[in-house]
Amino acid sequence: MNFTKHLAWIAGGLALLLAITFALPPGKARGFDVAGYGNLPILEGGRVKPLDSVARNALLVIHSRQGFRHEGRNIGPDEWVLDLMYRPQVADAQQIFVIDDLEVLGLIGAKQTKNRNYFSFTELGPHLDEIQKQAANAQAVTPQKRTRFQSAIANLFDRVFLYYRLRNTLQLAGSPGLGWELQSLGGADAAPRHADLTQLAHFRILPPLAGAPPEAWQSIGQALTAAGTGGALHPGLIPMAKLNAAYVANNPAAFNAALAEMKTLVNGLKPDALGHANREVVYNRAQPFFAGMIIVLAAFLAVCVSWVWKPELLRPTAFGLLFAGTIVQTLGLFFRIILQGRPPVTNLYSSAVFVGWGIVVLGLIIEKMYRNGFGTATASLFGFASLIVAQHLGESGDTMEMMRAVLDSNFWLATHVVTITIGYSGTFLAGAIAIAYALRKHIITVPDPETDRALSDMAFGIICFALFFSFVGTVLGGIWADQSWGRFWGWDPKENGALLIVLWNAIILHARLAGYVRDRGIMVMAIFGNVITALSWFGVNMLGVGLHSYGFMDQAFWALLGFCSSQLVLMGICWAPSRFWEPRPGARA
Amino acid sequence: MIKTYASRFWSLLKSFQVTIVMLALLMCLVLLCTLAQVEMGTAGAVNAYMRSFIVWGDFSLVPFRVPIFPGGALVGLILACNLMAKTLDMKRTWAKAGMWLVHLGLIILFAGEFVAGMMQVDTNLSIEVGQTVNYVSSYKTMELALVDVTDPAYDDVHSIPESLLSKNRPIPVPGTPVTLSVKKFFPNAELANLPAGQTSLATAGVGPGVQVVERPTATADGEVNQVSAFVEVLAGGRSLGVWLVSNALGAPQGFVHEGRAYTLSMRLLRQYLPYAFTLKQFRHDVYPGTDIPKNFSSLVQVVNPSRKESREVLIFMNQPLRYEGKTFYQASFGKNDTLSVLSVVENPGWLLPYVSCVLVSLGLLVHFTIVLRRSLKRRQEKLEG
Repeated sequence: MNFTKHLAWIAGGLALLLAITFALPPGKARGFDVAGYGNLPILEGGRVKPLDSVARNALLVIHSRQGFRHEGRNIGPDEWVLDLMYRPQVADAQQIFVIDDLEVLGLIGAKQTKNRNYFSFTELGPHLDEIQKQAANAQAVTPQKRTRFQSAIANLFDRVFLYYRLRNTLQLAGSPGLGWELQSLGGADAAPRHADLTQLAHFRILPPLAGAPPEAWQSIGQALTAAGTGGALHPGLIPMAKLNAAYVANNPAAFNAALAEMKTLVNGLKPDALGHANREVVYNRAQPFFAGMIIVLAAFLAVCVSWVWKPELLRPTAFGLLFAGTIVQTLGLFFRIILQGRPPVTNLYSSAVFVGWGIVVLGLIIEKMYRNGFGTATASLFGFASLIVAQHLGESGDTMEMMRAVLDSNFWLATHVVTITIGYSGTFLAGAIAIAYALRKHIITVPDPETDRALSDMAFGIICFALFFSFVGTVLGGIWADQSWGRFWGWDPKENGALLIVLWNAIILHARLAGYVRDRGIMVMAIFGNVITALSWFGVNMLGVGLHSYGFMDQAFWALLGFCSSQLVLMGICWAPSRFWEPRPGARA
Repeated sequence: MIKTYASRFWSLLKSFQVTIVMLALLMCLVLLCTLAQVEMGTAGAVNAYMRSFIVWGDFSLVPFRVPIFPGGALVGLILACNLMAKTLDMKRTWAKAGMWLVHLGLIILFAGEFVAGMMQVDTNLSIEVGQTVNYVSSYKTMELALVDVTDPAYDDVHSIPESLLSKNRPIPVPGTPVTLSVKKFFPNAELANLPAGQTSLATAGVGPGVQVVERPTATADGEVNQVSAFVEVLAGGRSLGVWLVSNALGAPQGFVHEGRAYTLSMRLLRQYLPYAFTLKQFRHDVYPGTDIPKNFSSLVQVVNPSRKESREVLIFMNQPLRYEGKTFYQASFGKNDTLSVLSVVENPGWLLPYVSCVLVSLGLLVHFTIVLRRSLKRRQEKLEG
């Protein structure tokens, strides 16, 4: 008995340890301190972040993953971006461009000879003109009206262009490097080269000089232009040139020494930037929501097994795992809050993460209250699903992008957005419990009114909770709208979506109060709550007012449709007349 | 007999059936209104579905409009009555205190939306850096402005609303010797150069060289009708000519009568204010290295002679100016960041949602606490028993 109690803590502790190992820095690649290079702070997308974030997001956009295997070695984002910037001939041969669309494959004349549709930049080279021409046609069409081919070719062009910009950020690809640029500052065709570098630069790596405004980071091209037109030489150019030369000459010792020199310089110019970048790198490596997703999945599997094998051992273990997963996710949320200086929900990605977090926290609470495994099972499954959604949303690039002016209000982000997202979590969890109720009714043949009662109490309690948060969140949203647009309520799609959730939860509670529905009816209605929440969360973004590209939303449309129809089927299962799900006496004999 | 009908009506009014049916109808309306926005624009869909008593449908089979659904106003009204009946009917016990607060809050919320729907006036104020403006303009509605500009220090403005022009009647302008006679009115039109060989109704101003083609009126958000009319100016018993007026024409056109100079122009309906705004600075900041907007702000000097007030106000995102019953919001910008557009809203009921929010949140909190306590007590008793 004592052992089983401890097992829960042991399982949870092991899961936490595993998550921490993710956050440890990787070793040196070929002797080069590539991770240290990834720690360098740069300015991109309006905020200072480590180069590692740029590399990860770029690789995620181009390759759909944060790493790949090449010539028998695992190549991480930091090493990849170094090769791309300093040794483009190496990076160009790596097959990292994923192309799935058959028409695009046809366009570039790629027969389906390879088993996977990965292409290197060199392989795409002969088709670049055609890709650019087709993409220019596609980009003339508004994203919502593009055909599948048009969105695929525009997407491919964006990825190639991102690759091309990174390739020409620190030196023009094919030129002898930064040292040579510094020597030929006054040269005949130096100025146009510097202009090209300035224009193509994807990020700005040189910190602002003393006395300059705090956001005046410079790209290599800008610093060269300044030096070439009689200005002072930015002191960062010298260690950058050394880094460049050492990497090309395959000299790890010189590279690591130059990196230390660069870090000292950055520390002198911008004392807090390196520390901030380091924290973000830890967050990047730890991938807390990925780790949390795995742990939560383990919790779900454990609780599933517990129903058929050793329940007294596995149910606490599952609870321990769910608890560990919640801790990992909570830490991840804290990291995001600190890094961004913002409340946890700022965009669609973080809303998915937060919904997942809300679900597991609520699940822990009801499991603590009822101790029958259903809290763990439903929360871990829906928490996992929500994190999967987040994982897909995160593929579009930086998940900590800057907030547009109208959203720039920490007070309202913290109150309205967080409250309404908790309302989503509640509605989803109530729906998940209802699904568990429906399935259990069909699988378990022995009548068990006590568990039925408990599940129905859980669902009712959570619907009350969800109604409270979605109502308060919606009204707070109205007040924010009144503050920033001058009207409390404008029947805008997003507002309407939130209102639908409130109305539906209100209908459920009133129907129960009036006695029109009993346990089973409430459960059917709770499952429909999933449909409404999913539609108002994502569906409204597909009406053509969304912020995300059609390419993503095209896939998401089918995913959403699939989810909604699965919920309708589950409603049918739950609603099926009792003769389908109550054991007839003697039927089993 | 009457009593039984009344009591039956009363019990129907306060019944849960009505609540649930109305909530369900409201959900359908919200969904339909959201989907319709793709085609009709937000304002059009809201007027058709939410701010109407009946939703009408046009079918090619029948020549008249067919009612297809109860509109938002009707559903809202019934729901509000149901809510009030229910609230009056509720037991006056402490256990129901939370529900009382919630329903009171909801009634106030409904009232707030009703007031907004009936009485809210949306206008805007476009102002260039350095310019002083003492009026707000409508987004869509036009007026025909006859301005006596003889005195360079003072404009005497006479405004004829669009609705009066469409009546095709002679309009004497009070306070002036001028009578305007509308020859032809176009709610929306497209202007082009008059092809050779065609003649225009206009005999004065730029009109004789312009062709006017009638267009269907615009419904989508942000589209403005090009309201046009041929107007004959009559003064002192004789005609001074027929002018073409349209908001598509740029500068006002002028004429002189008995030594006084007048201008004539079709423009967005203006409401003059007893105070004036001067735009001192407009800022449009972006995040470094991107074009993501970080902030929009307008620094305005508010001059109000009646209050002997002259002060600077900074209006920026999420920080509007509430002044003399109107609220000024930073809404848009243009002309290479030298023009700032402020949205102006006048809604006497703007405070109601705030009151409602507090009441409902408090009520739900109280009620759910009562319910939770009761359920925990029951569990405890069960465990002990």
